[in-house]
Amino acid sequence: MTHPILRVPWGLVPVLLLGAFQVCAADDPAPGEVLFALHVREIIAEKCIACHSQGEGKKLKGGLEMTSRELLLKGGDSGVVLIPGNAAESLFHIATTWEDEDYEMPPKEADRLSSEQQDQIRDWINAGAPWLDARRIRELRDRFAEGEVVETSGGLGEDWTNRRYEPEKLWAYRPLEVEKVPEGIHPVDWFVDRRLEKAGLQPAPIAAPGELVRRMTFGLTGLPPAPGEIRRFKEEFGKDPIAAVRAYAGRLMASPHYGEQFGRHWLDVARYADSAGFANDYTRPNAWRYRDYVVRSFNNDKPYDQFVREQIAGDEIDESDTENLVATGFLRMGPWEQTGMSVFRVTRQQWLDDVTDSVGQTFLAHALQCARCHDHKFDPIPTRDYYRMLSVFSTTQFADREAPFMGEENRTGFAQADHWASEKVAHYQRQRKGLDERIRASRKEEKGEAKTGDNGLDPGDEASLARMSKNISRHQWEFDRTKPIAVAVYDGNTIERRNVSSRIMMPGNPWGKGVMEKDSILTGGDVYSRGAPVRPGPLSAAVTLGEMDPSKFPDGRGKRRLALAEWIVDKKNPLAARVMVNRVWSWHFGRGIAGNPSNFGGGGSLPTHPELLDYLAAWFMGQGWSVKKLNELIVSSAAYRRSSRHPDSALLNAKDLRRELYAVGLPRRLTAEELRDAMLAVSGELNRQVGGIPSRPDINREVAFQPRQIMGGTASVYEPDPLPRQRNRRSLYAEKTRGLRDPFLETFNQPGPDQSCELRETSMVAPQALTLFNAEEVHERALAFAARLLRETGSDRAALGRAFTLALGRPASAGEIAACLVHWKAAVEEEEGRIYEPLSFPEKIKRTVMAEKTGRPYEFWEHLPAYEAYVPDLQRRDVDARTRGLAQVCLVIFNLNEFAYLD
Amino acid sequence: MNQFSLPRRDFLYGLGSSVGSLALTSLLQAEEAGLKPRKGHLPARAKRCIFLMMEGGPSHIDTFDPKPELAKRHLQVFNRQGERESAMSSGKRYFVQSPFEFVKAGQSGADITTEWSHLREMVDDMCFFRGAQVESVNHPTACYHVNTGNRFGGDPALGSWVTYGLGSPNQNLPGFVVLPRNSYPQGGGSNWSNGFLPADFQGTPLRPEGSPILDLTPPRGVTRKRQRANLDLLAKLNAKHQESRAETNALEARMASYELAYRMQAEVPGILDLEGETERTREMYGIGKQHTDAFGRKCLLARRLVESGVRFVQAYAGNWDSHDYIERAHGSLIRSVDQPIAALLKDFKQRDMLKDTLVFFCGEFGRTPDNGMRGGKSYGRDHNAKAMAMWFAGGGTRGGATVGATDELGGEAVECVHHIRDVHVTLLHLLGLDDNRLTYHHAGRFKQLSQFGGEVIEELLG
Repeated sequence: MTHPILRVPWGLVPVLLLGAFQVCAADDPAPGEVLFALHVREIIAEKCIACHSQGEGKKLKGGLEMTSRELLLKGGDSGVVLIPGNAAESLFHIATTWEDEDYEMPPKEADRLSSEQQDQIRDWINAGAPWLDARRIRELRDRFAEGEVVETSGGLGEDWTNRRYEPEKLWAYRPLEVEKVPEGIHPVDWFVDRRLEKAGLQPAPIAAPGELVRRMTFGLTGLPPAPGEIRRFKEEFGKDPIAAVRAYAGRLMASPHYGEQFGRHWLDVARYADSAGFANDYTRPNAWRYRDYVVRSFNNDKPYDQFVREQIAGDEIDESDTENLVATGFLRMGPWEQTGMSVFRVTRQQWLDDVTDSVGQTFLAHALQCARCHDHKFDPIPTRDYYRMLSVFSTTQFADREAPFMGEENRTGFAQADHWASEKVAHYQRQRKGLDERIRASRKEEKGEAKTGDNGLDPGDEASLARMSKNISRHQWEFDRTKPIAVAVYDGNTIERRNVSSRIMMPGNPWGKGVMEKDSILTGGDVYSRGAPVRPGPLSAAVTLGEMDPSKFPDGRGKRRLALAEWIVDKKNPLAARVMVNRVWSWHFGRGIAGNPSNFGGGGSLPTHPELLDYLAAWFMGQGWSVKKLNELIVSSAAYRRSSRHPDSALLNAKDLRRELYAVGLPRRLTAEELRDAMLAVSGELNRQVGGIPSRPDINREVAFQPRQIMGGTASVYEPDPLPRQRNRRSLYAEKTRGLRDPFLETFNQPGPDQSCELRETSMVAPQALTLFNAEEVHERALAFAARLLRETGSDRAALGRAFTLALGRPASAGEIAACLVHWKAAVEEEEGRIYEPLSFPEKIKRTVMAEKTGRPYEFWEHLPAYEAYVPDLQRRDVDARTRGLAQVCLVIFNLNEFAYLD
Repeated sequence: MNQFSLPRRDFLYGLGSSVGSLALTSLLQAEEAGLKPRKGHLPARAKRCIFLMMEGGPSHIDTFDPKPELAKRHLQVFNRQGERESAMSSGKRYFVQSPFEFVKAGQSGADITTEWSHLREMVDDMCFFRGAQVESVNHPTACYHVNTGNRFGGDPALGSWVTYGLGSPNQNLPGFVVLPRNSYPQGGGSNWSNGFLPADFQGTPLRPEGSPILDLTPPRGVTRKRQRANLDLLAKLNAKHQESRAETNALEARMASYELAYRMQAEVPGILDLEGETERTREMYGIGKQHTDAFGRKCLLARRLVESGVRFVQAYAGNWDSHDYIERAHGSLIRSVDQPIAALLKDFKQRDMLKDTLVFFCGEFGRTPDNGMRGGKSYGRDHNAKAMAMWFAGGGTRGGATVGATDELGGEAVECVHHIRDVHVTLLHLLGLDDNRLTYHHAGRFKQLSQFGGEVIEELLG
């Protein structure tokens, strides 16, 4: 507690000061002057001047200028706005209160003055509305201003450079304050219980072992617990609860599914996808190796500092090492494309902006884009810092680099993937040849200055040619999927590219062709307006407030990114460890200690337990940045293990309506991926293979066959993998195409991969019920589940009992068995005698799209090679009425609240 | 419905003094009300909105903005160079005259080509705007920009913001419905995504073929009776689980969402069934005629949806990306939407609904007065972010007006020039929403449709 004074609520201090100076000597300023110097001037500058001042290319709003006392006194279109000494009748004051509907200023909800600021305007007017010059303002501010000036690399203007911050909002930049926790007490509980005690709130008891085992298994692996594990855990829990939890956490984290679950969390932040988005949505054939790198890193418990270094600067550490090269895929995960329609300078700058912002959000919990055009409005991040960070990347270039496969990388299914792509290409080539011949025969010669538009072709012929050529080149790029290539970067000159539609090769000499970019501020964020030069550097506020040693980043051909990475994971960096422990905490509890895991700035929520956050951050670094150890610490706390039901809910609501004290466990719905994976696991269909090229599961076929426009035509349809074991893999491995989301996952709140997701949301809308009750894929899981139950048990009752154990992790009650038996029987009666036709799967489909050049629809056939050898999952016609009837019970079980929610 | 908003409530509470308590309360109310209808910030001129999205970028020069000067310069060659030009717009270029004939239509004498033989009769109810500009000349980024206010996608669509602000009259239907073409636009479903807003406000696409709403019906063999029985067993088993978890509102709400889905299954097909309309109405919309059937169905469906209490409908037509053969391509597209759109306006007028129904027509950008060398010389046009085709009808807009102007070649808006964000602000304004107050706190910042604020284009208001 080195800054006790900083815990004093903001707002009290100026009042105290005002009170203090009134008893001071006669040469002291009048209260109105102090108000102006400390508050009113700043309010006017920040909230009023933008509209109420003259300037080039600017419209003066309401005819009112607010740049001087004289102009304010003159008023505007609405008449007089300032009557010194009479706030009650001054429109300036009235407008800020928003009490008169016709005069609400400033007009933006987000800019609205706090009641404290409204009072400051009022009091200043009542005190005669004095106006001071700059020298006097500085003098008074030096004497009376509260809040902190933060030393940064400097704002675009002096006002910003000297602005003051509410001290409590600067928490994230300050050095860690680590309290000593008494021996023998769990540190998490030490901090959490202290708050509970202070609030006078008894926590809920520890959850039952059956609830805990589900919470832990889903939490650490994203899968339901196996019945054997449940039994074992309960036995051990009976002997020694804490030891049982620790041991089970250890077993879970030793399973490769741990890395899949934590990798998925990380990939939400990194925006992982297998395609590039925008107009072409080209494949990123080797992105899967970055996904597997992340999974592997969590499974191997790679120290987090190393994880950061590799993703930011792997190539600069050792470019001969595959792991390092693959890791840099992080820098290229955002959507990006360069086509003939776009200006290279602009798309290059878009990436620089994107990578600067995403590195800021991911590792430093700062959305830096706000500082691209102007100094940051809330945080001590000057535009100069933004461009210092950005210039760390100005020599970073894309390349899909050679990176030999490593032993631990999964190379299953390569041949089949290549076969599919070559079949697609062959079909298109055959079609193109036929069309070419037809066109040659019918094309009329074109003469004259301009093409007349009609050369004897059928509508759609030209569109088809373009479409086929485009798709051939798209599928050809897919052959790279099975090659030892990494989506990576290198340092070098910037080489202008007009159109990127295939692998980007490494140039022979990175510093040969092209130009070294100039590092400067871009005025207003405009790529064509170069401002003052900058050199690579870190966030200056973190250095000064964090009391870090100054560091000098290299420029020129130096290893700029490695310098940044080392700066981020410097043990004195106040942000990195806090950010990661807060993320891990949020992955366990569904909420961060600081509420916005990717925004620790003034706009984000303040930490609810700052001392705990600091303790964990220091502990995490002390344990070699081990995420597994951090997990074990967290799950072994009483806070994690609590029941989600509080014995005294009235008291709980009275003391902690917002549930921020961790008095109870917070129930949560399974994520989209967990829901699908749990159904596959329970039905016995899940292929637990770890890693490898993306899997193509069955998705809603109407969406799969939905024509999708890309530049120059229509993309090939989505085809699932032919075999059930290829399709029924964990959702993490499902191919993620930016322009084609799996509607099941999207409906259950899987975030889109275009923007970084700091924390999953859980909504509840009717389409979720439609999906889980009606979707073909869910019915297939229910059928497979039913077949499994009958295969593994000998009686109706045993089958139903096993259903509850597998799906819900508990035995069924007698009442539940009875209700399900009745239901089953009725369903069997309906099913008896029903004949189900064999399903047919199309090996080609006819599609209708609009031809660009004719504005008319045209039809074409597309071949679907995946369906030539397609083996469906278990179908209704494969089983008897008894199984189909039981499948209706299984469907209901998949829809239960108890299946979808964890206590 | 959004019972699991507890952590989000915390974010908002955690803001403390940086937002007034009144503002906070209204934010929370808007979110927790879900789709329940509520009042906007201002008196509304329009109660509902239909957005006719002309994907691909229709040419203003060949529809509503005549450029006689182009006829004089037809096929004149010039060069455009500079670092800001893309491959598309650089090199040797030709001016291209419009192949269409313009007339002055209606009492207002609005400019329109003769191809619009039906819409010509409606111009006195339409307000043409020639001042709009976007920033991007790429289809997906420009589509995102027009649809969501953000070029890079991922933000909530206009319809999501509107339903977030106003809710929707019919709780059994989505508040924001999209009628896409058979093929989805570049950029895909992100064009109607709810972005960071709660999922209640997501655009629901009603697909023109197959199942209109995904999984609206169960697989073959599952009868409505079977479904009811399944639902009853679900309710029974859920009830027992809920007994000891009364505090978790989400569980009860989830069961309610199943009942809502069950009701939707019954209600939606009726609304989508156009057979219930008279033969005359169907004819008016051009249903049954080869050219106009597809968009005629969309327009009639749009009317039925808003009548049934859907707040915001967006219907797609296209693809207007006529780089070549503009006479053929644009000609045929105009014929496919002309009669349906005219019928929609007429129909609303007959029902006295045009006064409070806002119809908005635009593409993601306009087209250039000149063309490059794509495969020889041909009469087509490239992308143009500086001028575009746009009009409004009904909902308190100024019927019969033409606002703003482009330069003599149609290359750039020069009068009453407004960024697309001002168009968004104006649309919200007409619907009774103040863009500056229609905010959502996300990832540490108050976000709004216009991104950083914009202004109402007063000239468009009636």
